[in-house]
Formats: sequence, structure tokens, C-alpha cells
Amino acid sequence: MEFSEHIKTANVEDVVLQQPLHTSIKGTLCITGHHLLFSDREEESCQQVLLLLRNIDAVEKSSVENLLNYFSLFPNAGHSNRATESSGTIVIKCKDLRVLQLDIPGMEQCLNIAQSIETLSCLNCVAEMYPFFYRPSNASAQDPWGLSTPERHYTEMEELHERWRLSTVNQDYSVCTSYPPAVIVPKAIGDDALKKVAKFRQGGRFPVLCYYHKKNGTVILRGSQPLTGANRKRCLEDELLLQIVIGDSDRGYIIDTRSGQQAQQARMMGGGFESKSCYSNWKRLHRHMERGKTLQESLIKLVEACGDKSPNMDRWLSKLENSKWLSHVQTAMSTAGLLAECVERDGHSVLVHGSEGTDSTLLISTLAQLILDPSCRTLEGFLKLLEREFVQAGHPFQQRCSHSAFSHARIQQECPVFLLLLDCVWQLWRQFPLALGFSEALLLRLATEAYASDYGTFLCNSDMERCALQVKDKTHCLFRALLQPSEREQYTNPLYEPNELAIWPSVHPQSLQLWRGYFLRWTQQTRHLELVQEEIRNMVIEWGKMALSC
Amino acid sequence: MMASPVSVYNSSVLDAHISSPSRESLKMELLADVTLLPGEERIIDKDIIYICPFNGAIQGKVLITNYRVYFKSSDADVAVTLDVPLGAISRVEKMGGASSRGENSYGLDITCKDMRNLRFALKQEGHSRRDIFELLFKYAFPISHGLPLFAYVTQEKYEENGWSVYRPVEELRRQGLPNNKWRITFINKNYELCDTYPTVLAVPFKSKEEDLRRVASFRSRSRIPVLSWIHRENQAVIARCSQPLVGMSGKRNKDDERYLDLIRDANDTAKLTIYDARPNVNAVANKATGGGYEGDEYHNAELVFLDIQNIHVMRESLKKLKDIVYPTVEESHWLSSLESTHWLEHIKLVLSGAIQVADKVSGGNSVVVHCSDGWDRTAQLTSLAMLMLDSHYRTLKGLQVLIEKEWVSFGHKFASRIGHGDKNHADQDRSPIFVQFMDCVWQMTKQFPTAFEFNERLLLTILDHLYSCRFGTFLYNCESARDHNALRQKTVSLWSLVNSKTDVYLNPFYTPESGRVLYPVASMRHLELWVTYYIRWNPRIQQQQQSPVEQRYLELLALRDEYIKKLEELELSDSSAPPSARLANSGSSANTSSSSASSPTQQQQYTHLHTPF
Repeated sequence: MEFSEHIKTANVEDVVLQQPLHTSIKGTLCITGHHLLFSDREEESCQQVLLLLRNIDAVEKSSVENLLNYFSLFPNAGHSNRATESSGTIVIKCKDLRVLQLDIPGMEQCLNIAQSIETLSCLNCVAEMYPFFYRPSNASAQDPWGLSTPERHYTEMEELHERWRLSTVNQDYSVCTSYPPAVIVPKAIGDDALKKVAKFRQGGRFPVLCYYHKKNGTVILRGSQPLTGANRKRCLEDELLLQIVIGDSDRGYIIDTRSGQQAQQARMMGGGFESKSCYSNWKRLHRHMERGKTLQESLIKLVEACGDKSPNMDRWLSKLENSKWLSHVQTAMSTAGLLAECVERDGHSVLVHGSEGTDSTLLISTLAQLILDPSCRTLEGFLKLLEREFVQAGHPFQQRCSHSAFSHARIQQECPVFLLLLDCVWQLWRQFPLALGFSEALLLRLATEAYASDYGTFLCNSDMERCALQVKDKTHCLFRALLQPSEREQYTNPLYEPNELAIWPSVHPQSLQLWRGYFLRWTQQTRHLELVQEEIRNMVIEWGKMALSC
Repeated sequence: MMASPVSVYNSSVLDAHISSPSRESLKMELLADVTLLPGEERIIDKDIIYICPFNGAIQGKVLITNYRVYFKSSDADVAVTLDVPLGAISRVEKMGGASSRGENSYGLDITCKDMRNLRFALKQEGHSRRDIFELLFKYAFPISHGLPLFAYVTQEKYEENGWSVYRPVEELRRQGLPNNKWRITFINKNYELCDTYPTVLAVPFKSKEEDLRRVASFRSRSRIPVLSWIHRENQAVIARCSQPLVGMSGKRNKDDERYLDLIRDANDTAKLTIYDARPNVNAVANKATGGGYEGDEYHNAELVFLDIQNIHVMRESLKKLKDIVYPTVEESHWLSSLESTHWLEHIKLVLSGAIQVADKVSGGNSVVVHCSDGWDRTAQLTSLAMLMLDSHYRTLKGLQVLIEKEWVSFGHKFASRIGHGDKNHADQDRSPIFVQFMDCVWQMTKQFPTAFEFNERLLLTILDHLYSCRFGTFLYNCESARDHNALRQKTVSLWSLVNSKTDVYLNPFYTPESGRVLYPVASMRHLELWVTYYIRWNPRIQQQQQSPVEQRYLELLALRDEYIKKLEELELSDSSAPPSARLANSGSSANTSSSSASSPTQQQQYTHLHTPF
């Protein structure tokens, strides 16, 4: 594939770049198939900006003749012929919420550049994306991809082996296109039964085990909604599977991430819920979680409020409230808290699903594991959790993260579920500064990488798609890279103290905060706090080393 | 909605433990074992029902002493302890009558100054509440009953003497005064020039004593412009005063004009900036009562209004805040409710006013700050600007000096603003101006986590004892009243408590940077509600992790000290090696903290903490 056909102008000189936290610089702009490269002409202070085109969410061009501006910035810039030419301005809004401005001499060049960026940043052919070309110097293609596999995970969890087995019924992705080839299911259920259950669950997502609570042997399962439809179809295998899960216990809970009414309505579309009569030992708890477009619009409103440059900030709190982002954070955390409570305090197993079971279901099963399981709270444990519960479990990253808050395109499948998860994890991190083994920098890095990355980890929508494109052979793995000794240190929390107890977050609105580190990331103040946090980290690490050496 | 199996995320009860503000007192297991302070005496105890807003009615026993109300639940399952200094009480009322119907409708309703209320219920028979009501009323408001405040009764002894923390002349000397432009005057040694000012004042070198008297006649309550702080390098000053007595007729006073010009002239700046903390319209309105602001007749001066509202607006704003956080937090529209209290907006205005002052001064321009009387908003602005400009005030001792100097000695009317021991709860003079200042300090510590030697706990302790009347520090309105009542001889300073046990108030991450001016961001986007103060009585807010963090802080402090010791040993063994910047910094901070544990070597410490500007 030739990217060059989209690049009419590859190089422009004398471009002025304005970016947050920096003074404007003048230099050469270069567009390649995957990157926007800007380099400063000053020899002694060579500054370069390398931006993945994939990171660009929106391009806005204005043909305002800002020559006056231009010359006042650089009084010595050639007065000769330029004065008669017009120049154009391109504002680039990134998925990591950065806003850059390029002042490009020459209208035509400016339009060409804008055109190239617009086209190249939206190419949707996965196989041509940058991760397939990225070759970091410190890694070789032979390195294993990923941190674990369902098989390894099962083998390590010996306490499971008595009642649970690893099923390879989905080996060729024929039973469920969004599940990995191996999943953990009750031992007493055969693959044939699983196939029948899969037909009864949306997208074939039959209930599988995602968490085993060692303390009392209860489990968290996740799946998708049962396809009961308007005429209340049943599936005996499905009922049997769930009955086997609770065994002799008196009951289990089903946390449905839709409201009762939504679940009722889903029946008209062929979906549905587990009725009391057929699943008599299961108690349904409905928790309405927003999804899809509503969530995306909430993000857009929030980012808009954060970027509001008007000096009159009177209504900031109202705007923040109106975006509803924090109430989505609250709902997610309290639903996860409920899930964790059912398991830990009430001592019963839980099945989680909404409709597809690929978004809010994964969000709360992940958060609940973080609340309950100390082994998920280390740097490595957390990355493994994400790999298991988001990447392998089939969260459609490709669809959800194709645009962020600035895009002018119509909202299709975009939805910031993963970002919402990271925000919730940050809230936990803030409330329990000692309990999590990773740093805020990790969450920021993940939030950026999910939208645009050098690595293949967040490519595609499912294991099946990744397999078809040989993502594991042809790209590098982000999680592995983050654990490299060179990277690792900045992503660990030096204050971390392993804590065997569950960490119960407070979900009251006054306990939740705007994640300034992300949403106000490109402001001076946030940058300053970031530096101070780094300083504190270094201090603590230094003291720790000293303590060890004596 | 379906019922849920469990509690927390379904908004019902959490096991509550209400912690006491005076944490330094020993743990009290049973009512009989309550550890009283030396001089504290039991007045009455009684079986009672505490109507806990979070857990409902709780049976227990209440103890009232001349210092506190103490309650402990008798039911071991609901372990609730209340330990409230009587000083924190603003109002005691009877609730219900002998014939009131309904369970627990007969009892006492206590309103506190520190963002909470307490309700107790008693049996509806034999006037069961009469004695407790009368005694509580009497001891909670001793001043109204001709009794001494507890600070005059307590027999507490501490290793450190907090009254020696602030010595006005020493502090001026630390700033490099007197010099050839500024002199120290004792004209007010008998409080004859101004009865609400301290005895030691710094004024322009060229001003004569009779000038000061003439200026005093033209300033509200004789509060003439005097120096609060001087910039070591550019010699720009922060001066404070009250409004000029311009009045409706637009009176002028040549001496006042000349005097302000002397301030300007002292470091040769072209224009003196006068910051009037009030909104423009309020300043104009003050003319009607004889006050006003500096007009064009002050030739080399510019006047800037900072738009900060008066004490009444601040009082109402905090009242609104209390309404949305106590007893239950307004959850459904939390942010817009918070916005409608305007509390954060007021914080923003105070902070941004102080930023303007600090910025002017660090740019080399002298400033004069006043509001109406110069003891509320003025104190906020000068002290916050000094906190931004001078790293000394960001140390544990430095903050004490700052409070003693700009608030206590310059006559912030603590007695009137807080209403110590006074039953008149509706007094229009009461206002949370000092709380607001502490909130601003907290906002700064949030934005600069390594710049302050003290931690949040110090701020909470100060605010607890702002009301408690256990220490003399915040009693009375001004120095003359303190002298008259022999305060420093007869009471203990809050700083005695703090400085006898500094560990718990230290921030392990403190890294001194002497020359740096801190400009906090006063944008609403970067301000937060101080939840751990305003909502701390709510058991749901009490962050489960708070104590482990404090524990961890202490561990980190120990690690840090170990680290510094190691570095010093290394230095000794290899004295030729140049110490790194951090090393030198940490070294000096270690000295400050360790010297406070041994006998106070003030002089030494000041030279050590000299702030090179």
C-alpha cells in the first residue's frame, strides 16, 4: 500500500508550531505515512515533535491571514517575498487531548498538509497501521507476546482445578467470535452443552469464569444477555450451567448492567434476562449503566468544559456536573462495589452481563477484581488483569477508540469504556495511595496508547481478528514493553504496601474527583504537579535504597 | 428497584466511628476511665441517647466537664464516641417538651462551630434534662456566666514554650530590619496610638512620631500603614492598614498622602499600589459611614479593588456549605449545590488577590493592603502573599510566626469572629475568616506538595483549637486585651502542644527551596473542596486509608532522617566532595526538625533559615 498517494506535500519549511506548555517554535514540518514530524531549525536546541497521525482526532483549518501575527513573533523572518503570500493555520486536536497549532506558509501547502493528515489519520485498515511497522531497538520479534494466556492462567490457579476446567470449545472461534480460544467453565458441563448455551447468549458469549475468590470459593462469571426473546425461550443447558456454578449454595446473584425496564425492552429485540421462574436460585440485581453514545457524548462535554478558555469560570462546577462524567464514574464504581460485596461479604457467586457483555460487563468485573484481589494490584498483576479482562475477553478496542472527544465525525461505535475504567482505577488509586503498586503515569500512558499506539496490544476488536492479522507475530506488545526494566520504574508506586484486604472505595460524589492528570493534562499546573509527584517518587526510592544498603 | 443483599453500595449504614478532635488525649476505653486534662473537672454525667445522624438513636452515657462533652455508647456493637470541646459549641437548645410525642423527641439540640450538630434525647420524666441543660449552658458559655475560659483553668505543662515562638523584633530582624529606609518604633508600647495594633511597628525611616499620630487620625481605628514584610533583594514591602476616613465630603489628609509616598519612596518605585480588598461598590458605600478609599489626590499611587466580600457574606456562604454537607451530603446535585454556596469562589478571590499582591512585590513594587478595618480580609491577603513570597513561613515554625504576627498581633478579632465562651450565637460579628485563610493554605499545600514543612494534620489541629479555648493562642481580639488579661502568663500556647510533638505534623516530602515564590493557580478548575475538614464528621467520608497514610508518613520521616544521617556521615568521611543540592536542602530541614526537639535555639535557627532574596 502506498501512503504516498495521500501525501501531496511531504515537507514544509518555516512552519510555526504552537503546543501546550511550550513556546512556539519555527521549523520544518514533515508528513510520513504514519507520523507528523516537526523539527526545529535551531541547531543548538534541536527540538523534535513526533506525533502518530493515528493520535489525531480532528483537523481544523482556517485561512485567516495571520501574517501580522507571524511577523510579530519572528520580526527577523524574511520580509521579502513572504509578505505577499498568504499562510494558513491548521489546528490539530489529538486523542490524548493535546491541541497543536501549525502556521504554514502558503495556502496550497497548508491545504495539502491538512488533507493528508485528515486522510491518513482515519485509515482504518488495521494491517497497515503503525504497529506493524514499529521495530523498537531493544526488542526482537521472538519475544513472547503478551503476559499470559488463558491456559497459563488456568494452570496457575490450582484451587480451581477441582470444579473447573479449561474448555477449548472455541479453539477456532466458531462458538464465540469475541472469546479467546480457551475459557474456564464448570467441569460438569461438556463442550456440547456449551455450544448450546452459546447459541442462547448474544454473540455466543456463554457464561465463563473470570474470578475465583479464594477466601470463600465463590466466583464471578461473565457473559452476555440470554436470548429469551418475546416468547420467553429457555435453554436447559444454560439453566444447568448456572445451577452447577452455585452447587449446594442457596443462591447466586446476577448483576445486570441494564435497568429492569431496559432488560424487559431487550426482549422485543430478541434479547432478555434470566427470569425468576427458570433460574429460581438466582437473584437479579439491575444497575443501570450508561453505554455507547451517551457515554461518548459525556466525554465530549467534559473535554469541552475542560478546554473552555473563557476567563469567566463561574459555571465550571455546573458544567462539570452537566457533563455527567463523574456520575458515570460513580455508577461504575458502585456497581463494581456491589459485585465485590456479593462475593466477599455476602459469600455468593455472581454472573455479570448487560447486553453484549463486552463493555460495562468487563468494566465492572475488572474493577471488582481490583477491589477484591491483592494480586491484581501490582504493576504486573494489573496489566495481566487488563490483558485478561479487556484484551482477551474481547472488548472491541478498534471500534470504541477510533475517535475521542474532538472528532467531528458522527458517533458510531465509539465509546470511552476503557477510559472510564482507567478513571475509576485512578479514583481507587487516589483513595488508597498505598494499596496499588502502579503509578498514575501508567494510567495516563494506557489512556494514550488505547487510542493511538506503536504497539499491537489494543489493535482489533477480538482475539479472532488479532489472530487473522497475525498481530502477535507482527507487532510488539505494550504490556511487555511497560515491564521492561527501563520503563518499569516510572510505572511503579514507591509507596506501595501489599494489602491482603479488599479495598472498598467511597463512591459518594464528594469523594470522587475530576481526573485532572488526564483531563487537564496539558495545563501548566498539572504539568507542575506531575513533576512534583516524580520528585516525591524519586525521594522515596532513594530513601528505600539507603534503607536496603544498611 | 431490586433489593440488594448488602449494604455500602446500596446506601445504608456503615459502621461508624466518630473520632475526637483532641486526638492527643489518651484513648478512653470506658466512661469511668476518661483521661481528663490537668485542671479538667467532671461536672455531670448521665445516661442519655445520642441521636446520631448516621446510625440513629444510640444509648450511652454522656460526661460533661469544664472542658468537653464526652459521649460513649453503651452498646458494644455500635462503638460511637464523641469528644467535643465545649468551646466548639455555639448554641444549646431544648428540643421538644415534656408532652412531646414521638420517640426521642425530648432532649437537647447542640449546634457546633465546627460544621456539625449534636442531638441528645432523654427520658420524658421528672425534668430529666434540666440539670444537664443548665450546666452545659453555663460551662459552654463561661464568659456569659462570669466564669473563666478553660485556658485559664488548665494545668497542662509542655516541654516547649509556644509563647516564645514569635518575637516581633527578631522577626523583623530576620527580614533585615531595621535598615536605612525602615525603622522600628515603640510609639504604641502602651497601645496609645492604636489599641488594636501590637506594640512593635515598622514604619518608614523618614516618618516622625508626630506624623504617625496625624496619620492615625485619618485611618479607621487609627490603624496606620505599617510594614508587614520586606523583600530582601528589591526592598519592596507589603504594608497593611485600615481604610482612610474620607467620608461623604471627600476629606483629605496631607500627612496620610505624604506618609504613603514615603512608603513608595523607600525603594524608589514609581507607583505605589494600594490593594483595597473590598468590591468597588462596598468601598464607595463605606464613605457614608465616614470611611472610603484613596482618591486621585494620592499622586504616585494606583488603587486596585480585589472584590472580596465582607464577613457577613462569608458567614452565609459557609452556612450554606454546612447545609449541604451536614448531616447528610447533598448527593444528587453535588457539584451545582457546591457551586451555589460560592465558597470555592470566595476562596478563589482571596487567593487571586494574594497572588496579585505577591506578584507586585516580587516585581519590585511596594504595596499597601487594606479593607475597611484591616483585620479580616487584609490579614488574609498579607499573610497569604507572605506565604507565597517567603519560604520561611512554609516551615512548621514559620507558619506559627505568620499566624502570630499577621493574625494574632495585628488584631484579627478572634474573640468576636469565633465568639469564644459567648452564648450570643447570632452575633453578626461572627465569621469564618480564619477558617477561610486555613482553607487557602490547604489549597496551596495541595498544589505544592513538597513546599510545606507541615502536613494537613497541623491545619486540622489549629482549626480544632481555634474553637476549643484550651489554649490562649486565639483568645481575645487584640494584644492590649491579651496584656490586660495576662494571657501569656496564665495560659498555654497552642504552639507548646505542637512543638512538643512535631513528628506528627511534618510532611516527609518537604524539600526547602528558599528563593522560590509560589504562585498557586486560583482557577476554579484547580481548587477543591477541603473534604477532610468540612465533611470529616460524616463516617462515609472518613477515608478508610487515612490512618495508614499517617502511619506511612511517620515511617517515611524515619527513612528520610536515616537517609540524611547517612549522607552526613558520607560527607564527614569525604569532606572534599561537593554535596549535591538536594543533600544540602535535606540537611537543613533535618536541622529544623531536630532542633525543635531539643531546646529551642531561636537565634541559630533564624540564621539557618535565612531566606536569601
